[in-house]
Amino acid sequence: MTPRSYLEQVTRRHFFRECGVGVGKIALASLLTDSFSPFSARAAVIDPLAPKQPHFPPKAKRVIHLFMAGAPSQLDLFDYKPELAKLQGKPLPPSVIGGQRYAFIRPDAAVLGPQFKFNKHGQSGAELSEMLPNLARIADDICLIKSCNTDQFNHAPAQIFFNTGFQQPGRPSIGSWALYGLGAETQELPAFVVMSTGAGISGGSACWSSGFLPTLYTGVRFRNQGDPILDVSSPAGIDQKLQRDSLDLVGEMNRRRMASDGDPEIATRISQYEMAFKLQTSAPELMDFKSESKETLELYGCDPDKPSFARACLLARRMIERGVRFVNIYHEGWDAHSDVSGNLKKNCGETDRASAALVQDLKQRGLLDDTLVIWGGEFGRTPMVETNPVLGRSMGRDHHPQAFTMWMAGGGLKGGVSYGATDDLGFHVVDNPVHVHDVQATILHLLGFDHEKLTFQSQGRDFRLTDVHGKVIKALLA
Amino acid sequence: MSTLSRPPFTVAAFLFLTMAAYAEGTIEFNRDIRPILSENCFQCHGPDKNKRKAKLRLDVREDALKPAESGEIAIVPKVISKSALIDRIVSTDEDEQMPPAESHKKLTGAQKEKLRLWIAEGADYQAPWAFIAPKRIPAPGIRGIGWARNQIDQFIAQELETRRLGHSPEAPKELLLRRVSFALTGLPPSISQMDRFSADTAPDAYEKEIDRLLATPQFGEHMAVYWLDAARYGDTHGLHLDNERSMWPYRDWVVRAFNENLPFDQFTLWQLAGDLIPNATRDQKIASGFNRCNVTSGEGGSINEELLFRYALDRTETAVNTWMGLTAGCAVCHDHKFDPITQKDFYSLFAFFNSAADPAMDGNEKFTPPVLKLPSPAQENQLREWTEKIAAARAGIKAELARIEYVDPAALDPIPPISQVEEIWLEDDFPADAKPASAATWATDRVQSGKRAIKQTGQGITQNYFEGAEKPFPAPSNGKIFAYVWLDPADPPKAIMLQWHGDGNWNWRANWGDKDAITFGQAGTPAKLQIGELPKPGEWVRLEVSVEDLKLKPGAKFDGLAFTQFGGTVYWDHSGAAYEVNPAADPERSQIAWEKRNEGHDPGEKVPKAIRDIFLANKERTAEHKQTLRDYFLSEVFAGNRERFNLLQTGVKKLEDEKKAFEAGIPATLVMADIEQKREAHIMLRGQYDKPGEKVEPAVPAIFGKLPVTGRATRLDLANWLIAPENPLASRVIVNRLWQQIFGNGLVRTAGDFGAQGETPSHPELLDWLAVELRESGWDIKHLIRLMLTSATFRQDSRMTPALLEADPENRFLARGPRFRLDAEELRDNALAVGGLLDLTLGGVPVRPYQPENIWEPLGFVGSNTREYKQDHGQALYRRSLYTFWKRNAPAPFLTTFDAPSRDSSCIRRERSDTPLQALLLMNDVQHFEAARALGQRMLLEGGTTANERISYGFRLATTRRPAESEQTVLKETFEKELEHFAANLPAAQQAVTFGESKPKPDLNPAELAAYTMVANVLLNMDETLTEN
Repeated sequence: MTPRSYLEQVTRRHFFRECGVGVGKIALASLLTDSFSPFSARAAVIDPLAPKQPHFPPKAKRVIHLFMAGAPSQLDLFDYKPELAKLQGKPLPPSVIGGQRYAFIRPDAAVLGPQFKFNKHGQSGAELSEMLPNLARIADDICLIKSCNTDQFNHAPAQIFFNTGFQQPGRPSIGSWALYGLGAETQELPAFVVMSTGAGISGGSACWSSGFLPTLYTGVRFRNQGDPILDVSSPAGIDQKLQRDSLDLVGEMNRRRMASDGDPEIATRISQYEMAFKLQTSAPELMDFKSESKETLELYGCDPDKPSFARACLLARRMIERGVRFVNIYHEGWDAHSDVSGNLKKNCGETDRASAALVQDLKQRGLLDDTLVIWGGEFGRTPMVETNPVLGRSMGRDHHPQAFTMWMAGGGLKGGVSYGATDDLGFHVVDNPVHVHDVQATILHLLGFDHEKLTFQSQGRDFRLTDVHGKVIKALLA
Repeated sequence: MSTLSRPPFTVAAFLFLTMAAYAEGTIEFNRDIRPILSENCFQCHGPDKNKRKAKLRLDVREDALKPAESGEIAIVPKVISKSALIDRIVSTDEDEQMPPAESHKKLTGAQKEKLRLWIAEGADYQAPWAFIAPKRIPAPGIRGIGWARNQIDQFIAQELETRRLGHSPEAPKELLLRRVSFALTGLPPSISQMDRFSADTAPDAYEKEIDRLLATPQFGEHMAVYWLDAARYGDTHGLHLDNERSMWPYRDWVVRAFNENLPFDQFTLWQLAGDLIPNATRDQKIASGFNRCNVTSGEGGSINEELLFRYALDRTETAVNTWMGLTAGCAVCHDHKFDPITQKDFYSLFAFFNSAADPAMDGNEKFTPPVLKLPSPAQENQLREWTEKIAAARAGIKAELARIEYVDPAALDPIPPISQVEEIWLEDDFPADAKPASAATWATDRVQSGKRAIKQTGQGITQNYFEGAEKPFPAPSNGKIFAYVWLDPADPPKAIMLQWHGDGNWNWRANWGDKDAITFGQAGTPAKLQIGELPKPGEWVRLEVSVEDLKLKPGAKFDGLAFTQFGGTVYWDHSGAAYEVNPAADPERSQIAWEKRNEGHDPGEKVPKAIRDIFLANKERTAEHKQTLRDYFLSEVFAGNRERFNLLQTGVKKLEDEKKAFEAGIPATLVMADIEQKREAHIMLRGQYDKPGEKVEPAVPAIFGKLPVTGRATRLDLANWLIAPENPLASRVIVNRLWQQIFGNGLVRTAGDFGAQGETPSHPELLDWLAVELRESGWDIKHLIRLMLTSATFRQDSRMTPALLEADPENRFLARGPRFRLDAEELRDNALAVGGLLDLTLGGVPVRPYQPENIWEPLGFVGSNTREYKQDHGQALYRRSLYTFWKRNAPAPFLTTFDAPSRDSSCIRRERSDTPLQALLLMNDVQHFEAARALGQRMLLEGGTTANERISYGFRLATTRRPAESEQTVLKETFEKELEHFAANLPAAQQAVTFGESKPKPDLNPAELAAYTMVANVLLNMDETLTEN
């Protein structure tokens, strides 16, 4: 750590240790060196979102996380297990299952074979299901991790666990850590954006919460309908000029106040009102898809007038281009307790094209090299069938924390890699296990952080995203 | 960018200042040394015995003075040269150096110097300050300082003098009124209050104002906001469906308790253990709901043991956080690394909370038991009336039973003759009054009887059915249901199924052929009986199902039939029931036969428990048993009386249903209760719910000694211990939080951590003085608050000068008055109050004010009853923010945007951020813009006749002061520009003044009102308006 970044850390720490202190107070250190001048205070305000240097040069400067909430079935999409077809209808040997408990099925439930055909794609020969024809096209750009595993087997805790490293609400999410460590590159848009398509999200807002970090590191939700950012439109009847006049007047009154009262907090407020006005102009520009070519819209399968996963992906690219640091897109609906094949047809239909398009589009624009794209859910699904007449379920798969598949692309990762393996039944990981904490450590590594050193002290303890676990998966790094 | 351009030496300069302050006195362990050791050494040489290295322990003096594993002695008092600790911290040898390089920790030169000085002075230790009971030392006498008004000031003055800091003059009167109004009620003063206060020249004018404010109900509402943060109060369960829960009577109790100034010791007892107080009052039970405010789940597939563990964990951590100001979280998994709280201590506290009676799965219900019903006196009367009516109707049945003279046919000699009966349910058509699923496909080319039969051909599951026959078919319990089928030999089905509808569901099925083809129903139960192979094709075959196998309630009737097949072509015809009438053997006619049939086995869940028990007991029957059986047989089983009793029973059921519906509307609140047989508590290894280790009993942490109880300690004992005079924590913790609320920062700034990793108090003697004062005043919260507010310290001007900023940037030493941004609830309430829109109705069910669309919906789970936000209208839009429905998964944006916690877990300190999203909300949100319109209207109607007067009036409403001339000038300039704009754009003006649901006065000029609205919006967005200063 360089002396300068060390000193910055000390200041940050001093300030953030107890975040009850207003943001403006952090300006203090700089104010001390200047001869005190209220009108220069505005320049002296230290912005907690100012760009910061991580521990080492980052490979990924931005992240787009496509969170497939509800948990897609890896056995029908990525992790081909012909053995399951042979065993279909028979129970798994108890020796395989061990003591695992399931949400809905009994451990002696029968095996369900792969629901779709698999083929090898690209030079890397990545094996993918016929449900993912678009992903197949970019098989050599992605890195498949077939040995993911987690500690949680219910949706809400598992989603929160993936995003924050802890199964209960209250810890900062990956995006919040990224902002805390790297700051923002844009003043015109929120640096951490959350979008959602599909059904509701089990884990709720805890998934993008800043936890005990200051709230300005919380993900800002972009909405599918109405204002994309809350209250970004002026009230009816108030045009941009009037709004500008009001802001100028607020600024003027606040500068007078600053002069008489000398509170640096006022300077912060002045600059935040300025940024609010910038958002009011940049948000409509962001949402205006006119500049997108027909080919691009076609590539994603996006109708700009309709909220959809495709539209969210295209918006994510537009945000990345405009300096947004971290984008979460939640697509909830993969929870196939019944009719797993129908579920996959629907959800792959909604997501496959746009997910692949996003990678392709970023690549052709030269953005993939320093943008990390992540695709995956909160856990996997069982090799056993879920059938429950009382609940009206048949041909489904239950939750499976022991093994699932994710893919990532860009941002300093190798392409065309398939990493880790499960046993012949897809039940346990047998090769190169990747725990959720390892995924988190790797993401932070790509962003330039030693995950053991990116810490924040709260209630007397240093916390980190990976708790006391996690190791970077070096084999995936380019 | 400014971070990067800032010269690095500023920080060094800052550190120097802090150090210089310390260097003035001699070394004091708790202030100077413990923080260094805690941050850098305790991780490996502290309380956690499992992580201790080199057998060296530095947090206990006698251990630190003993030789460690290596034989070296870490600390030899007064002998630096023999103290290995000093050698290690100055060493540059990587193998020797402490803290080790891999810890990423490094001591500064100043810290090393302090350690050296401390050992040189004798290495005195102090018990952790927060674990020594507070003692009151007299407030220091301060000579030559005239400004001190009470003891608080004396302590503050002493510290100011030590630090050579001054005291600021008293704040201008009008600002003081605003400050104290927000501090006590979270609301601004009204114009008449401002006028009265500024006219009151009595020396105690300010104190009178405090007493007035303390007596308003708004005081309790404001206090409740922060208490409810600690209590993690919400109106939903919090996980998964995040359905509504009824907890608001607890919230109203908190408001009431503060308003009635319930002594804090009682306040503590009631909330932690109100349910255990002998003869607990209604309020005490409601208060125990504190323990029920935790997040719960109803997610299918969860593991009960894990949920119960989580709930008890949360309750323990919340209590520890709220009353002990300690962070217990670490001790869930291992001994605390910094404080003397072992894992065993934690689980001993946990043992107080792990026998709660609420279920693991909250059932996604509004009233997850145990709940306390809270009927009003009028509702109680009505309930009594229902109860009486139901009793009367039941008595009617009894009387009717008494009138019956029943002769059992089996007891006759000779017994009555036997006859065969066949009743037809289906022939040629569905019953005229039934609801068919679709027009049935009738055919006449092949019939078994009558004119036509159903002909079905299809792929997969194909069916014809009806339900809702007005005259349902009785299913004779000794009979058989039959139907005829003809399977096409050229196109046979895989399976055929008969199915019946009764009691509102289709849960009776009989299947022939492939048992898996038709997937409905759970195999092996009446919901799916497998009768046999497919009948022979090419001929009419009679299908028969024994009614007994369907496990029906005696007298059951069907009102629907379904004919289902999987594939193939099938004719269906002539269905009904065949039975034998043998009165003496018929369990619906002969009680003897009925008893004989049921003797020794379970007649099924539809039969009342009392009857089932009698049959299952298989014992000699008492007269009472006999009477019970007779009454049940005659009223529920006997075919001869069925119509008569059905009518009577329907009457009772209707009354019961009505009563139930009425009861559902009675408010109720979740309360705490323990199960009878207490659950065992264990140390959970690594904090895992399924890894129990050593068994523990309820106890307080060992460092505090033992509870003076015999037998198993209860939550009530725990609560009594917290408020006992010798308890070092609770009184300090609460006093500190009140101080934090009023001055912006606590005397212990880490209000949630009084342990070694927390900060030491800025004014330890003052903290102790206040803690003892609270206890000795009879735990009088209002008294404590009054003391703080009447101090000269609180009354100071809050303006900052460069010198003040430099000397004490965070105002820890209070050389100036408090100054901080208003909290989320205060900001909204302020806008409503200033605009004259605020509705001050107290308490009641939560309200749903304006909320931008799509806050709940995208997060709400399918099936959640808080998925769709249904906004209220009218006055509910203008209630105090405290009453806004708190959905934990998606709290209202006006709350979260301004740093309100999510209420998922206990929070005792809110942060105060400053973001552009806040500016957008305050400028543009309908609630705020509507308030601006309302303020604009007040300026127009109440403010005088000229623009200057009106602007000044609005300014005063927003800030309590009149604008300076220069401020007045720029405001008026903009106003005139806006007036001109709107005069030329009337439609825009019209839009601007009709934003929101309240209507502007119709006779006002829209352009003028719109221009005042814009000015008002500026006034409501000024830093001064958003700040308590």
